[in-house]
Amino acid sequence: MKQTFRGGVRLNEHKNTDHCMTVRLPSPKRVYIPLSQHIGAPCTPLVKPGDHVLRGQLIGEVGTGLGAPVHASISGTVVELRTRHNALGTVVTDVVIDNDFLDTPAETMHPASTPPETWTSEKIIAAVRDAGIAGMGGASFPTHAKMTSALGKVDTLLINCAECEPYITANHRLLLEDPMTVLRGTRLLVRALGLSSGTFVIEDNKQNAIDLLRILCDASFPELKVAAVRTKYPQGDERQLIYAVTKRELPSGKLPADIGCVVFNPATAAAAYRAVTGGMPLIARIVTVDGDCVKEPKNLLVPIGTPFRDLVDACGGLIKEPKSLISGGPMMGAAQWNPDEPVTKGTNAILVLSADATKPYAGEHECIRCGRCVGACPMHLMPNYIAAYTKRGDYESAKEYGAMNCVECGSCSYICPADVPIVQYVRRAKNALRQKKA
Amino acid sequence: MEYTKQNDVENGVYDMPEGAPSFPALLTVSPSPHQKTRIHVPRMMIDVLIALLPAYVFGVVWFGLRALLVGVVSVVACIISELVFEKILRRPVTVMDGSAAVTGLLLAMNVPVTIPIPYLVIADIFAIVVVKCLFGGLGKNIVNPALAARVFLFVSFPSAMASFARPAGFLSADAVTGATPLAAIKEAGSIEGIDLLNLLLGKTGGCIGEVSAVLLLLGGLYLLCRRVISWQIPVAYLGTVALIALVFPRANGGLAMVPIELLSGGLMLGALFMATDYATSPVTSVGRLIYGVLCGLVTMFIRYFGAYPEGVSFAILIANLFVYYLDRYTKPTLFGGKKKLLGGGKKL
Repeated sequence: MKQTFRGGVRLNEHKNTDHCMTVRLPSPKRVYIPLSQHIGAPCTPLVKPGDHVLRGQLIGEVGTGLGAPVHASISGTVVELRTRHNALGTVVTDVVIDNDFLDTPAETMHPASTPPETWTSEKIIAAVRDAGIAGMGGASFPTHAKMTSALGKVDTLLINCAECEPYITANHRLLLEDPMTVLRGTRLLVRALGLSSGTFVIEDNKQNAIDLLRILCDASFPELKVAAVRTKYPQGDERQLIYAVTKRELPSGKLPADIGCVVFNPATAAAAYRAVTGGMPLIARIVTVDGDCVKEPKNLLVPIGTPFRDLVDACGGLIKEPKSLISGGPMMGAAQWNPDEPVTKGTNAILVLSADATKPYAGEHECIRCGRCVGACPMHLMPNYIAAYTKRGDYESAKEYGAMNCVECGSCSYICPADVPIVQYVRRAKNALRQKKA
Repeated sequence: MEYTKQNDVENGVYDMPEGAPSFPALLTVSPSPHQKTRIHVPRMMIDVLIALLPAYVFGVVWFGLRALLVGVVSVVACIISELVFEKILRRPVTVMDGSAAVTGLLLAMNVPVTIPIPYLVIADIFAIVVVKCLFGGLGKNIVNPALAARVFLFVSFPSAMASFARPAGFLSADAVTGATPLAAIKEAGSIEGIDLLNLLLGKTGGCIGEVSAVLLLLGGLYLLCRRVISWQIPVAYLGTVALIALVFPRANGGLAMVPIELLSGGLMLGALFMATDYATSPVTSVGRLIYGVLCGLVTMFIRYFGAYPEGVSFAILIANLFVYYLDRYTKPTLFGGKKKLLGGGKKL
């Protein structure tokens, strides 16, 4: 029997791009590189308008505290430092660079002078930090910080290849097209954390990736294993992933390292390998472009900072009137108001959906107490009660039903036959409770 | 598309066909999730109606065309009373969700075919207005509307509800006694003359929709496959009844009492269609199991010791009253939590 977790929902997968070779996006005319792409403090800009920058050059550095540096993804001239609101309403500063189409590399990008096998953990972590690597699955937690906190505390390293959101195939394609970099990167992470093994966790809808990695692991990576898990949303949530493979439950408010686990995205592992062996900063990533409005859905390799509009144009443009543009998957991704929002280190997909494909909250019905949300909640909450209490403004009771433990995966809202926007009610309760505390 | 040089961009690789849709200046922003299941309340109610239909059609064939009249009147009366109630109170009209039709059909299947039409209409109005709408509509009612209306008929018009004489139907094969099998067992204290196959097929006396156990099972199976109902309530309910019949058989029936208790009376209709009513059953798996066991215990208690031969309606109504507490005290253990959260939260 395949390993899995209790709860969750089966989704229509829409993996339209799982057979599409990743293509490199034509170099964009202009990129907008946000100085705040990760959890933690925004970077301080190191360049000013008029400066000429090289591809891979450091343009934003963090001071003390959590964060990761950012680098220029193309060579060219800095036009301006633009301040704007992003989709979440946060103020971000972008470094706007005009492309000179020469792709002149920075001097920091060169092969390592000593083989990485001889490197100490500290040296590897420092290289990962200097490359500005942050989790590439969406949450963008700075990788060096995760490694530092995990050092000496963990016994299990998992590579999260679940990719449980519909449409997204960026990691699936990466595993098929460049498995050696991912495997070598994983070997590097395993070594850096002083562990003896690592496990790839892959949903069983990616059988070809499971088979390929198993063959390669058997042949040349004896310390790495592949675990197939059942295709179910939200399998890619760190908690459910750890539970499915190790049966350890991550308590609310704790980090995976507290229960001896550390989880990386395969793209992060590959980026770490490139950073250590070639001094390559994280300046490009694979993005799935899909949705019913896109003419030819594709996986694109794009420089960080490219506007979403360029990606959609490279896929043949639109064929339907778009209603929403989503950065990330349809279950947890953020809807964007601006089609020129730039790609960041955590952008794994861009979806352009028409009114037919998105769910309109047409008419909220009263809860009929069918209990589907209770069965679907991967955190084992009773979402219907939390929503009902929140509706009445009784946030304390909502808290007693575990509102603060919600991971906002949206399974309850997805499954609700009465169209109650359950997860939105839970978010309201969480915000109200946080404000009360503050 | 291969790696591109400067001239690719200058030559315009991004050329779009004339008149292709383009992004508006601002796009619609909404909170996640951005997609949704296609299963909605009306679809689920239609599934319940589909599942009830075979047993109801059998009732029409077995008891005659008057059963059809009873069904149509009951459904129409329920829909109209909900419509009128909501119009008078200027509330949003909810008849399109299909739950009024389900209540109407369930009530029709829960009365004898000889029921006087005015009584039936009064019961329909009682079910919809008093039991459902006055408590806040679908999902807010505390007890099952169709069952409450049936008990309302029981206590208001006892003789009309206890006469099971069969008018001439399409099929006049076997002679059927006026009394239901359960009433016969209660009065005679023996299972003399009860044919198991007839019980299974429904060639017996009783209410319109409760007689054909096999077709009700078929409908229940359909609902299970469509995931409209979950297995816990029917299995716990029927299992409890079977277990009690096995351990304490009455009327010197021995082992035969297990199938007889399971197949007779309103048990199949109740366990598969009435006890599983969403609004009046628990939402947790453990709660559903306990609720099913409770239904089974009360049903058998009434069948064994009660004044009525039949206990399903009362059993489910009594169990309905415990639902809120069953939910509260069977909260699932939080993921990553050590202990169960018991109780908590003000009464809704």
